[in-house]
Amino acid sequence: MNAAARQTDMVTLNVIDSTMVAICREMGIVLMKTSYSTIFNEGLDFTCAIADPDGEMLAVADYCPAQIGGMPVVIKASVKELAVEDMQPGDVIVHNDPYRGGLHTPEHTFFQPIFVDGELMGYAVAIGHVSETGGSVPGGFASEATEIFHEGLRVPPVKIKRAGKDVDDVWKLLLANVRTPRQNYGDYRALISSVDLGQARIADLITKYGKATFRQACRDLLDYSEDRMRAELSAFPDGKYSFDDFMEDDGIVDQRFHIRVDCFVQDDEIIVDFSRSDKQAHGAINATLGVTWSASFNAILHLTDPAIPKNSGCFRPIKVLAPGGTMVNVDYPAPEVGGNTETHPRIAYTVIGALAQAVPDRAPATDAGTHCNFLFGGNDPRSGEYYVCYDFLSAGWGGRPFADGNNAVNCINGNCRMIPTEVFEVRYPWLVEEFALVPDSGGAGKYRGGLGVTKRFVCRDAPITVSHMGDRHKTAPWGLHGGREARTAELRIMRAGTKEWLSAVEDAGKISPSKFAGLTVQPGDRISLTTGGGGGWGAPSERDAGSIDEDLREGWVTADAVRGDYGRAGAEGDD
Amino acid sequence: MRFADGGYYIEEYVKCANCGVLIYDGGIPVAPGSQDVVCSDWCREWKSQRAAGSDHPVLPLPRS
Ligand SMILES: [Zn+2]
Repeated sequence: MNAAARQTDMVTLNVIDSTMVAICREMGIVLMKTSYSTIFNEGLDFTCAIADPDGEMLAVADYCPAQIGGMPVVIKASVKELAVEDMQPGDVIVHNDPYRGGLHTPEHTFFQPIFVDGELMGYAVAIGHVSETGGSVPGGFASEATEIFHEGLRVPPVKIKRAGKDVDDVWKLLLANVRTPRQNYGDYRALISSVDLGQARIADLITKYGKATFRQACRDLLDYSEDRMRAELSAFPDGKYSFDDFMEDDGIVDQRFHIRVDCFVQDDEIIVDFSRSDKQAHGAINATLGVTWSASFNAILHLTDPAIPKNSGCFRPIKVLAPGGTMVNVDYPAPEVGGNTETHPRIAYTVIGALAQAVPDRAPATDAGTHCNFLFGGNDPRSGEYYVCYDFLSAGWGGRPFADGNNAVNCINGNCRMIPTEVFEVRYPWLVEEFALVPDSGGAGKYRGGLGVTKRFVCRDAPITVSHMGDRHKTAPWGLHGGREARTAELRIMRAGTKEWLSAVEDAGKISPSKFAGLTVQPGDRISLTTGGGGGWGAPSERDAGSIDEDLREGWVTADAVRGDYGRAGAEGDD
Repeated sequence: MRFADGGYYIEEYVKCANCGVLIYDGGIPVAPGSQDVVCSDWCREWKSQRAAGSDHPVLPLPRS
């Protein structure tokens, strides 16, 4: 479609779009302020959106990108299964099933139909990572799972509220299957409050403009985003661009699992073909189709104009091919909980790695590629109550064609915040001894990769069950165009009364140092978590002297690294 | 997707043999008589060109 074919004037289109985005942001603030778990009220691991009656995304707030591109898959699958004619005002649907369009087991989607004068006009949607799902270990990340059933309760699309009233049987069933029913109850209420608000605000917006104007504006808005994305993609030279990266193990067998992509750029469209990727893994690193869509769109959004309105229209010129039974579209009943956190960045940067050949002036080197998901739970002796926490760390981002990578930012699919130390210590029985940037962790380059972080903490007073889902402990994040690799991630355990830092392989005989479940930590035991850096961009020899001096002054690189990476003295007067 | 009577559980997950999306409405056979199904004419044509050995098909996406 071209601009002349659009029926809504640009002012009205912009006002309606911006209002919907603002409503989505307000939905997120409600969710943050009313939730019980730190993953919501500190981590902001959620996304709020508005969908049309067919499940197409109309607007979304800039919270967690992992959930943005996959949102239409979730809603479309739910709408196919539920009888739309049975929807009524005040209904709220809950859904987390990875095999019905969901992203991974902890990702719970709540959505509420928006009715105006008895007519269904769309849905208000909140997707949030619920920190406890039942299953074999506290915190949902059953990193040694070999079946979906180890990961917790699978919820097909069902109504948790019907016509504004709680469906008590569904509430009881959900809350009987998790370790922290009070916390889950609070978080589910927060998700419901979020969609309640979104529904009311959008209904007001539609009433203000009238249904016909709103519908036409939504059609025009999707077309407008499609046009903007096509204009961007038409600047990519036609061709076939390929890239190959891998997950270093799956927690069950010590072997690599490859993601291979061929990006076919044809005029103003891209076919993102993953069909040469490895078969699905035994362990929980598989991605659902929603994850692969989301990661592919995420990658392309990072290479195109950030001002394009984010809705289903901007995804129309992009087709993702991900056959079932592969790493990138897992078949039932294999596990998949790590796919949405660890495999998403690998998929996204595989696409970026391929398209960097087409648009080298737009593509960054890879980020650290792991969230270092750290899950723990136990009985808190202070309250006598079971607690569960999903904690993760930020990491280094890759050097860019115009600037260094950012330090300590959640990886490409997260956009989440770390839990502040004060909150971490008040809410959970740990004492944090160190929390710092890691010097020299970013890959050297004309534009240096960002730094990872390290966090060391000690178990205070009662046993804690811990699990971890990560990657890139063995293989370094890559640089681009001569930029160097970054440092890898690491998890170490020091048992009370010892002086040795051991990996989970050395401490407990686990198969993987980064993917293990159900390790018991006793009072006095210490954990040290370190994230990797981002890869460097461009040859280190091209880095300007002033930037190296600044890195030294800030303590981001050491004098030894400057000598080794940049071939010059490490400090003024040091030769 | 094949659901049990009453829709209480899923008996078979049906995915497009080319792009992997869930198929709820029966789909389109990859070839006459084939058990494999695809979601669209575009997916059938892409899959057929790849199977015929094309390393780089150029096939515009359907416009809405
Ligand atoms: Zn298809």
